[in-house]
Amino acid sequence: MTEPEQGAGVQGAGQSTGNSSGPHGTEQQWATLMRAANQGDAVAYAALLRALAPVLRSVIRARGADLGPETCEDILQDVLLAIHLKRHTWREDEPLRPWLNALARYKVVDAFRARGRRMTIPLEQFNDVLVAEDAVDPAQRRDVLTMIAALDARSADIVRAIGLEGATIRETGTRLEMTEGAVRVALHRALKRLARLRERMME
Amino acid sequence: MTTEALIATLAADAPTGPGLRLRLWRWLLPGLPVAGLAMIGALALSLGLRDGLWAVLASPVLGKALLPLAIAAAALLAALRLSRPLAPAPGSTLPALLALLVVALLAVTLAQTPPSGWLAAATGPSIPVCLLTIPLLALLPMAVLLAALRQGASLDPARTGRMAGLAAGGLAAAVYALHCPEDSPLFFVIWYGLGVVIAGEIGRRAGARALRW
Repeated sequence: MTEPEQGAGVQGAGQSTGNSSGPHGTEQQWATLMRAANQGDAVAYAALLRALAPVLRSVIRARGADLGPETCEDILQDVLLAIHLKRHTWREDEPLRPWLNALARYKVVDAFRARGRRMTIPLEQFNDVLVAEDAVDPAQRRDVLTMIAALDARSADIVRAIGLEGATIRETGTRLEMTEGAVRVALHRALKRLARLRERMME
Repeated sequence: MTTEALIATLAADAPTGPGLRLRLWRWLLPGLPVAGLAMIGALALSLGLRDGLWAVLASPVLGKALLPLAIAAAALLAALRLSRPLAPAPGSTLPALLALLVVALLAVTLAQTPPSGWLAAATGPSIPVCLLTIPLLALLPMAVLLAALRQGASLDPARTGRMAGLAAGGLAAAVYALHCPEDSPLFFVIWYGLGVVIAGEIGRRAGARALRW
C-alpha cells in the first residue's frame, strides 16, 4: 500500500497501518468501526464519522482559510457525503486509512476547484433569505435551502426528521406509514440526490 | 444542515449493500452481451456482413477479430482496476505483449509483401467507413461500461474513461471485422487501430464528465 506523498488526505492521525495512535483513533479502530458500519451498525458508523470530521475539518481549514469557515464546513460535508456514497469501494481486507486518504484528497481538490471558480455567487444569493435567522449556524445556510427547495417533499421530510430532529428509521416509518425498508431506500436515494444537488450548486 | 446532523443522517443509512465488484458485474454481465448483439445487428442491417463469413471465421483471418478482442479485454481490466481507489495501478505486461504481437504481425506481413505492394495492402476504399463505423458502434458498449464504472470511485476519471473507450473500441472493431473485406494486417492494424484510438478519445472525454463523483 502506498501513502499519498502530498495533498489533503486524512493526515492528522498518524501512519497508515498498525496500531499507531492518533488523536482521533487508530487504523484498526477505524477499520473495525467501518466493518461494523457495513453490517448496518449505525452507532459504529456515526462514531467513525465523528472521529473523521475533526481531522478532515482541520485539513480543509488549513488549505482553505481564505474561503471562510462556512465554506470549509460545506466542503467537509461534501467529503463526508462522498465517503458515504463510495464506501462500497473499500474492501474489508484493505487498509482503511489510505482509502480514506485517497477519497478525501480527490474530493477536497474537487471541492476547492469548484469553489475557486464560482463560489461567491450562491452564498450571496442566499444572504437575503436567511439573514434574519441569527440562531442558525452559518454553515447551514446553503444546505437547508438546497434540501427544502430541491428534494421532493417526502425525501426532504425523511432527511429532516432523521438528520435534524433525531428521529429513528422506525419512528419515521411509522409516522409516514412506510416500512423501515422503504424509509432506508428513500433515505439512501435522498442522500445520493443531495450529493448531486450540492455538486450542481457549485457549477 | 450542521455536520452533526449530516452525520446522524448518514449513520441512519449505514448498511453498505454489495461491494464494488458485484455492482460492476451486475451491469457488465447483462450489458456487454446485449451491446455486442446490438452492434452485430446494427452492422448487419446497415453495411451487411461479408460474403462467406463462416469460411473466413475458420481461417487465420479470424485474427482480425481476435486481436481487437484481446485489446478490449486488456483495456477493460485496466478500467475496472482504475475504478477502485486502492487497486494497484494497471500493469504494463499485457499491453506490452499486445504491442509486441502487433509489431510482429506487421513485420511478418511486410516481409511477405513486396515493397511495391505495401501501399495497396494498407489502403482501400473502405477507410472512411471503417473510421466512422468503429467509433459509432463503440458508443453502445461504451455506454454500458461508463454506467458500470460510475459505481466505482475512480481517482482519474479521464484515464478510466479512456480505458473504457479503448475497450469499447476493441469490441466494435471485432464486430466491424464481420463486415470488412480487407484482410491484410497492414490494413486492419493501421485503420482498426486508429478507429480504436478515436473511440478511446471519445471515452476519455465522456469519462471526464460521467465518472466524476
